[in-house]
Amino acid sequence: MDDLTEMLKGTLEGCVLEIIGSEETYGYAITRQLNELGFTDVIEGTVYTILLRLERNGLVQVTKRPSGVGPPRKFYALNDAGREELAKFWAKWQYVSSRIDRLKEGGR
Amino acid sequence: MNFWETVTGSDLTRDWKAFEARAEALPDDYRAAWGQIKGHFSPHADFTGRNLTPLLDAALGLLEEAATDGQSVHEVLGDDIRGFCTALVGGEGARTHRDRWRQQLNRNVARKLSRLGG
Repeated sequence: MDDLTEMLKGTLEGCVLEIIGSEETYGYAITRQLNELGFTDVIEGTVYTILLRLERNGLVQVTKRPSGVGPPRKFYALNDAGREELAKFWAKWQYVSSRIDRLKEGGR
Repeated sequence: MNFWETVTGSDLTRDWKAFEARAEALPDDYRAAWGQIKGHFSPHADFTGRNLTPLLDAALGLLEEAATDGQSVHEVLGDDIRGFCTALVGGEGARTHRDRWRQQLNRNVARKLSRLGG
């Protein structure tokens, strides 16, 4: 699906948190995972800015690991604050999506 | 940062030299993107530009990783390098030179006016 970027903007951070939450991973792999999910417009640069923001806000733990070739890769894992933030994200998502569904079904 | 570095800015010169050396090693299209990134960052610099050093380091790190993975720079940054830089700096509302000048101007005008008793 095209042109999802605007709609995704607010939720992408939560998606990235969720992906990091299931296992320690790095930027390129996160982008690929989102692409495979169907969010084909998501590029690595976008994910990277989100990762830096998560890092700045103290939600992730960053480890530099040497890669086979090139510079060391930054791996991200959630810390306690990150897990708390992720739970908050899903609660908010639940709220928004249930209200929007209700609106669509015409109920008040 | 020690006193000598603070006064002479020698740490900045050293950092920038290191950045340029790293950028030299990138493929051509990545080097071009690096040039653009620097351009988009510069309005966000503080007085010395030290606030940019970690950002430039981060951006360069991404370029290096992506280049090693064999991706094209377009795959990584898309069309909107400017947007990428804004997001790195911390969102649309990030302070720029222009904001500071505007604030200064407003302050000066307000002071002059109050002196006139207006």
